[in-house]
Amino acid sequence: MINLLLRYINLMVITIAVLVVISFALPYFFPGDTLTNLSGIVPESDAQRAALEAAYKLDGSVFAQFWHYLNTLVNGNWGVSFTSQTSLLKEVSIAFPATIELITYALLISVIFGIPLGFLGGLWHHKPFDFGVVTFSVVSYSFPVFWLALIFITIFSLQLGFLPLSGRVNLLYDVPHQTGFILLDILRADMPNKADAFYDAIQHIILPTLSIAFVTTAIFVRFTRRSIMDVMEKGYIDAAKSRGFTTKQIFFKHGLRNALLPILPLMAMQISTLITNAMVVETIFSWPGIGNWLIQAIYQRDYPAIRIGMLVVSMFVVSLTITIEFLSRAIDPARDKFERGAV
Amino acid sequence: MAQFNLYQEEYHPSPIMHIWLEFKRSHFALVGFAVLLLFCVITILAPLLAPYDPNVQNTNAILLPPAWEGNGTIAHLFGTNALGQDVFSRTLHACRITFGSSVILVFIALVVGVALGTLAGMNRGVKSSILNHLLDSLMAVPTLLIAIIIVAILGTGLANSMLAIILALIPQFVHQTRNFVREEMKKDYILLDRLDGASSFRIFWKSILPGMFELLAVQSTLALSVAIIDISALGFLNLGAQSPVVELGASLSQSLEVAYSAPWLIALPGFCIFLMVLSINIVGEGLRSALRNRLIH
Repeated sequence: MINLLLRYINLMVITIAVLVVISFALPYFFPGDTLTNLSGIVPESDAQRAALEAAYKLDGSVFAQFWHYLNTLVNGNWGVSFTSQTSLLKEVSIAFPATIELITYALLISVIFGIPLGFLGGLWHHKPFDFGVVTFSVVSYSFPVFWLALIFITIFSLQLGFLPLSGRVNLLYDVPHQTGFILLDILRADMPNKADAFYDAIQHIILPTLSIAFVTTAIFVRFTRRSIMDVMEKGYIDAAKSRGFTTKQIFFKHGLRNALLPILPLMAMQISTLITNAMVVETIFSWPGIGNWLIQAIYQRDYPAIRIGMLVVSMFVVSLTITIEFLSRAIDPARDKFERGAV
Repeated sequence: MAQFNLYQEEYHPSPIMHIWLEFKRSHFALVGFAVLLLFCVITILAPLLAPYDPNVQNTNAILLPPAWEGNGTIAHLFGTNALGQDVFSRTLHACRITFGSSVILVFIALVVGVALGTLAGMNRGVKSSILNHLLDSLMAVPTLLIAIIIVAILGTGLANSMLAIILALIPQFVHQTRNFVREEMKKDYILLDRLDGASSFRIFWKSILPGMFELLAVQSTLALSVAIIDISALGFLNLGAQSPVVELGASLSQSLEVAYSAPWLIALPGFCIFLMVLSINIVGEGLRSALRNRLIH
């Protein structure tokens, strides 16, 4: 176990080191002045330029620059954005929780609906219900997420007028920033009209969450259905049947756990799809998350923001993936070292 | 007079024929296959099929509704957009760009991925281990992020977005190939080849690659559906194909400006992407179950 843990920690450290090196190299590849790409400040005089060059160790060797870069990363002195000239650390710490909140709800919905649907479909396979489940999963897996979001907007916001079109919460409510999760913030805030604000925030969150959850649910349904079908054909299920257990007992004692085991690593592989979808959906619904922030940054060629945003998002995704991989290996030691699921 | 027959079947289908026989038992898969073929035909013949040049602006006919609406004309089957361009021609050309570039990029990713995966699978030790683990974890970096960085360095354009998606797809092919090659290298027929003195390349080319064909076919359909969605998403975000090039995602985002007065301009490109991806997924699903059933029978 210790061995396994060490191996995964090693993997995580190496991968993050590669990501840091890539992000260190980016300002030199971006078009324009390297100094401006690094600092986000356009030097106005030669004296300021010299001061900035000294501050970023541009006069030193590459290794000195890299060491300085590592120090700034750890200290949280990430530089400023081109466009807003505010601290990147502050901007990221406001935008990133919004994305995590969105993804969390989408994942919850997908797990709550996708896994039971997949189980039912797999247990009753080649029956009408299973046919419906498979049709649903193939169709919703094929939806381009931006088109789905636009359809939701047309139906629920423009035609029916039930739900708001963009943003996180109505501007009428002044929610103080505490955790960054809007629903938690509202619950914890000391506001007169808390219930109204909460209701309003829920209304805002429905459409973006559903758009992301639609595709993710389809993936979960596929994985779960395949997995339970494979498990129910195994020898130990036949053995349990021959001992006279009821179907219910067999499913809950033998089927469920063994079918859930291989799903976990498969989910780890879907995190990057989830993040990509979340980023696209955020831009459509003007959700103030990291995806929207990054896409605005690329429109304005805000290189310092792109570098830090890339580093933060990729580090988040990679560490989450590796953690899930480690957990699934720890839960299921019988899994072969190199085996990973196929869809 | 009845002839004596040793075998029950007189006709022995080849492995590919077996797949086809299993595949065509599912009607849905056949319909999906037909739609996919239709898109292939459009991709090849779009300039011949399209009645108008996709970029010519007819200022006398702006925002015409489709032909089945009251004031549409049959001259413009799907109507015209805000610039007076014929939507039918534009959709055909856009399908061509989206589908064609996705096929090309999946092919490139396939070749590079199989090459790297074979290297990783046939070698052992530190070199292979570094390649494997790093690629595995870099696989987790989202496509959109890679695309943003490539656009930041090289600028927008169809070729750059294709490059980003190729980079994002390669690790999957490497992964599948590596696992397959590793498994096969343990088997006896490879040992036999080795005893015959075959070089590593010959073992790969003559012994491993033919067996990998089915795996690659299934993986390519998966990659193709991902590639189409990604390339149109990048087009939609204005990070992909730029103006004179007609692309489905890009034309979807262009028609957002007239979403109120011309909702069919949003419906049409989105539906084309959906149909493309759906047909590919159905064919992929059919192919997978055909392969599974063929192995059972």
